[in-house]
Amino acid sequence: MDKNLEKMSALYDGELSQNEMQEIIKKMDSDESMRNAFYKFGLISELMQRHSEQQKSKITYLQNYYRKLNPLFTNLVTAAATVLLTLIVLYQFDDDRFKVDKETSFRLSSAISSDQAKIQLLNADQNIMEHMIQIMQSNQSNKSQQLSKNWIPVGFSVSPNNPNQYSNGRNNLFFHLENKQLGIKNVKYFKANNNWIYLIPLKDGRLLTAYGDIPPSIADQMIQSIYQRN
Amino acid sequence: MGVSKGDEMLINEIKAGNEMAFEALVLKYTPKLMSVLTGYTKSKDHAEELCQKTFIKVWQKINTFKGESSLFTWIYRIGINLAKNDFASRFSKNSKFTESLDQDQYDFPEYRSPETELIAAESEIKMMQFIQSLDEDTKTAFTLREIEGRTYDEIAKILNCPIGTVRSRIFRARQLILEFMNQENILNG
Repeated sequence: MDKNLEKMSALYDGELSQNEMQEIIKKMDSDESMRNAFYKFGLISELMQRHSEQQKSKITYLQNYYRKLNPLFTNLVTAAATVLLTLIVLYQFDDDRFKVDKETSFRLSSAISSDQAKIQLLNADQNIMEHMIQIMQSNQSNKSQQLSKNWIPVGFSVSPNNPNQYSNGRNNLFFHLENKQLGIKNVKYFKANNNWIYLIPLKDGRLLTAYGDIPPSIADQMIQSIYQRN
Repeated sequence: MGVSKGDEMLINEIKAGNEMAFEALVLKYTPKLMSVLTGYTKSKDHAEELCQKTFIKVWQKINTFKGESSLFTWIYRIGINLAKNDFASRFSKNSKFTESLDQDQYDFPEYRSPETELIAAESEIKMMQFIQSLDEDTKTAFTLREIEGRTYDEIAKILNCPIGTVRSRIFRARQLILEFMNQENILNG
C-alpha cells in the first residue's frame, strides 16, 4: 500500500514514467482510499500555497509591529527590518560542520529566495530579530564588551573611529559582544543585502555578533579560530 | 509558464480517452479550483456546482488545450468565466437588480472568507503547525516542491541527495500529514 501511495505522490508531482502513471491510475480507479488520499494531496498543496501567500502580508504586519515597539524607529530602521524580513534566515549550523563548499553555496543561494526561508524567518524567535535589527542600526560600540584581539581575522585592522569596527581595505566587519544568549546553541548566520550577520554563542555564555560584508567563506576561519581560543 | 511534464502526460492520456486519467486530474485540481470559486461565490454549494461544470467543460475542451499556459491556469480561466457568466445570468433574471446593475457589482472578491473555507480554520492552523514540526529534511524537500514548484531533480541538486531520497521525503511528508488529518479527524467522513 505504501509503495502505491509513494507512486501516487510522485504522480501528483508529475514525476512518474508513462507506464508507471498508467499502472497507478488503474489502481486508483478501483481503490477509493487511494482516490481520497490523492484528493487530500491537492488539498494540502492548496493549503500550503495559500499560507505561503499569507506569509508575505506578515512582512507589512511586522513592519508596523516594530514601529509600535519603538516609536523612535525611523524609516531607515523599518527598511532594515524589511531587509531582514525579506532577505532572510539562511542556515543554521554546528560549528564543526561549518564548511562552505560549492554545494552549500548553491543551497544557500536557493534558500535566500525561497518562500521557505521567509517562513523560517517569520517564525524565528522575535528576540533574535530584534537583536539583529538593533545591531544593524547601531554599532553600539559603547555597549559592547572588549574583544579579544585573537578573534580578528588575519588582514583586518581596527578602525580609528570605532573600536568594534575592523577593515581589510575592502570589507568591513563590526563586532558586538555581550552577556546575552538568546537561546542560541549553535552559530547562526543571516544575510541582509550584501551583509552577513553571524550570531556566535561563546562557551563562556556570552554572545558575539559579527556583522559586515564578510561571506561565510571568510567567516568560517574566523569562527573556527574564535572557538579554538574561547 | 507552460504545462508541466506530468500534466502533459496526464493530458495525453485523457486525449486518448483514458477516463481514469481524467478522474485523477479532477481529484488533483478540485481543491485549488474550489478554493478560487468559493472565494468568488462566497458559497461552498455554489462553488461545487461551478466546479463540476468546469470539469465537464475541461473534458469537452481538452483537445483544444495547447499547453501554452499551465494546466491549472487553463482550468482556472474556464472556472472563472463560468462563474462570471453564472453571476451575470443570476442577476439578469432578477429584475430588481437588472436596472441598477453597474460595473462595480461585477467585481468579485479576491480573497476567501472564513465561512467558505474548505477546511475549518482551526484545522488549517493545526495542519500548518504540524507541517512546521516535520523534521528539517522532510520539510525542506516538501516545501521546495509545494511552495517553489521545483522538480525532484532540482530538489536533489539543491539538497545534494539522490532523486529517490527526494521522492521518499516528499512522500513521507504527505503520508505523515495524511495520518495527522486522520488522527485529528480532519475531513473524514
